[in-house]
Amino acid sequence: MKRWSRWRELLAGTAGLSVTLGLSFLIAVALILLLSKQPLATIRWFFIGPFTNKYYLGNMLNTAVPLVFTGLGIAVAFKSSVFNLGGEGQVYSGALVTTVICLALPAANGYGGGLASLAGAMACGAVLAGLSGLLKMKWGTDELISTFLISSAVGFIVNYFITGPLDDPANNLLASYAIAPQYFLAGIFPPSRLNVSAGFAVLAAAAVFFLLNYTHTGYEMRMCGLNREFSRYGGINVSAYVVLPLVLSGALHGLAGGLAVLGTQHMAVKDFSFGMGWNGIAVSLIAKNNPLAVVPAAVFFAWLEAGAKAAMLHSDVTFEIAAIVQSVIFYLVTAQALYGALRRRKVRL
Amino acid sequence: MAYLRMRGITKMYPENNVLANAEVDFEVRRNEIHALVGENGAGKSTLMKILYGLERPDRGGIELEGRPVHIGSPLEAGRLGIGMVHQHFRLIPDFTIAENVVLGVEPVRRGLFLDREKAQASVRAVIQEYGFSIDPSLRVRELTVGQMQVVEIIKILYRRAQLLILDEPTSVLTAQQIQKLFLTLRHLRDIGKTVIIITHKLGEVKEISERVTVMRAGRVVAVRDTAEVDERELSRLMVGKAASLQVRREPAARGRAVLELRQVCLLGRGQDHPLLDRVDLTVHAGELVGVAGVGGNGLAELEDVVSGLRRVSSGRILHDGQEITRLDARELRRRGLAYVPADRLHRGSSLTSSVMENMIIASHHRFLRGGVLRRRQAEGFASRLAERFSIEGDPRVPIGTLSGGNIQKVILARELASRTDFILFSEPTWGLDVASSEFIYERIMEIRGQGLAILLLSSNLDEILSLADTLVVMYRGRVVARLANSGAVSKELVGEYMLGLKEDRP
Repeated sequence: MKRWSRWRELLAGTAGLSVTLGLSFLIAVALILLLSKQPLATIRWFFIGPFTNKYYLGNMLNTAVPLVFTGLGIAVAFKSSVFNLGGEGQVYSGALVTTVICLALPAANGYGGGLASLAGAMACGAVLAGLSGLLKMKWGTDELISTFLISSAVGFIVNYFITGPLDDPANNLLASYAIAPQYFLAGIFPPSRLNVSAGFAVLAAAAVFFLLNYTHTGYEMRMCGLNREFSRYGGINVSAYVVLPLVLSGALHGLAGGLAVLGTQHMAVKDFSFGMGWNGIAVSLIAKNNPLAVVPAAVFFAWLEAGAKAAMLHSDVTFEIAAIVQSVIFYLVTAQALYGALRRRKVRL
Repeated sequence: MAYLRMRGITKMYPENNVLANAEVDFEVRRNEIHALVGENGAGKSTLMKILYGLERPDRGGIELEGRPVHIGSPLEAGRLGIGMVHQHFRLIPDFTIAENVVLGVEPVRRGLFLDREKAQASVRAVIQEYGFSIDPSLRVRELTVGQMQVVEIIKILYRRAQLLILDEPTSVLTAQQIQKLFLTLRHLRDIGKTVIIITHKLGEVKEISERVTVMRAGRVVAVRDTAEVDERELSRLMVGKAASLQVRREPAARGRAVLELRQVCLLGRGQDHPLLDRVDLTVHAGELVGVAGVGGNGLAELEDVVSGLRRVSSGRILHDGQEITRLDARELRRRGLAYVPADRLHRGSSLTSSVMENMIIASHHRFLRGGVLRRRQAEGFASRLAERFSIEGDPRVPIGTLSGGNIQKVILARELASRTDFILFSEPTWGLDVASSEFIYERIMEIRGQGLAILLLSSNLDEILSLADTLVVMYRGRVVARLANSGAVSKELVGEYMLGLKEDRP
């Protein structure tokens, strides 16, 4: 009987999301009818475009990969009720560290060097976010502010390296030297850019799910997230659980940046990761901070992005119109998720 | 002729089955200062919340100046000329006095903008009209507690209130500030306002009020002209006759000293009066020490200090003769401290977590293998505890879905399951129905028989008198009485200590 009620609850949650989705699609269609001279083609490219060939499909899924990692990073933090608004800088600097390590190491050792570069990216993200955790633990500095500020500052430092010492004058891009091909992650869906990092993303989601729900650390993290007073009373080291979730969150963000370099970019391109951090927050919200749901949420997000691109290429809509349609769907869905999250919080108060 | 008349007010809180108000009749005359007194949980606040529109009564009606009125919200109360000053101030520190006062009824310019000059001028006018002396352009942050209270009063006068309700207005004030407040209240009465003051300080009742209504256990037990009662009688009316709690207390052998507090002091931030003032306390094995006191006299602070959630300012705490003064809750847990907190919904449990997750909070280390929580073992443990304590419901459901009595049983089960020699109870039966309370008393007596040292903090005198071997009374942060509970100790006597009418200098 209890189990039944839990199913019903889940169904009710999904029903709300479905209604919002349906509504937002209707609005999107209405907008397209209003703004496009060839609305049928536009609608087709927008919604089905990403599935029409292997290239589009693979690239769409590849766009989802970093969002899975950043979404997981946010979910870990939110589950412990700490906030990480520094995802942007953590992804970006992770990408830089991976690039630097790959450029510095002799290219002979592909696997070891690749792993080392990813470890570096994770460490970089972990240190940046963990710093905010330590500040909060020592002086009560609000991590909401400090993660964001540190990340913003770091963005400029990364820009300096990409456009300064690491800039490859040969490629006419605001980008670093390219890393050696030995480090490239193997493609799995040619001709698209989808590569083995997609598998890592799914594994990471499973690992975070396991960590949160089946381990001792996850239990303590969740309890701190739900009720810090109770956790302190129960003898949990609550100050550690300000730092640890941020360290994990930062590491996942760093990894997103590192994998994007090894799998897709093959160099550090200026501002390439723009939006990955913020969008991770949206992905996690849509997934209600459930690590397993982060994967479909990231794909959904990537689908909107790919659809907008396809519609731009193949019909008469401009970038702005595509962006507006994309935003309408995105804001409605996020608002729905956010509303649920806020309501839950109110109950807890 | 009554100005305000509340008739047959009945209010039941279904969550914990408590009848907060039972057929309460309450009358206030125009132009009087009326004191409403009673112990914690007597129903004073509920009654006033109903009058102010914060709660709806299940039955009963309100008449104002002979006309029946419906008060569905504080807004409607305000329209009827009823204003309330809450115990905890509702002011915005970064706003000026004027901005705080006009909040919600701001004068606007061009239909949109706050007219600061007008706001300040109109607030200044109110301040002058009522003879206060305070500058409305000051920020609330810069005020003393006494001044903040004045702002709260100005706030309701600005809204043209005729009837002022003050909820324990003196609890945060110093002696001089109290005198000032009373001057203000008398002045307001003289110019035609009516005042209801909630308090449990009997000296103040005598000093300020013309009439007094005494509540106990949700009922009005007496209405008197203040001049005709003395404090002793009021105290007796408030605490009542000892209820016959059916608890069998076998004589127990007193063992070694398990917990000792020596000259423990706790200073509050920005307060001149210490929250705990040189408290000495010893709890022996097999002994139940009951600490009684009215809210705000140090019981809550004692709870925080003993449980390691708050550091003492000076003094020492010993466990088995070893210093534990500077240990935090986590380290105390490791030493085997068990603790049933008064705030069972926030501190004692995590409402959205399952019963199982609540039960293992202090013992989840026992269910680990290689960092992985063995869910089945934990659930088995939870089920066994649930069965032993006859807790209804599946251990996998959120604890917040259980009744208040069952939540407390979960907490009790968890705390008693840890192997321990000392346990701290704070208000263990507050708000619970009779059956749950009795169940909890039986468990407490059971562990006392097993030789645990028990410290029980409670504002429920009947509870303390029936359970405690040694009775300690706190008033204004100090231990004012320490009595062996031989059965000859009367409730009236303890009540006098609790209300500060009597004091043993140690």
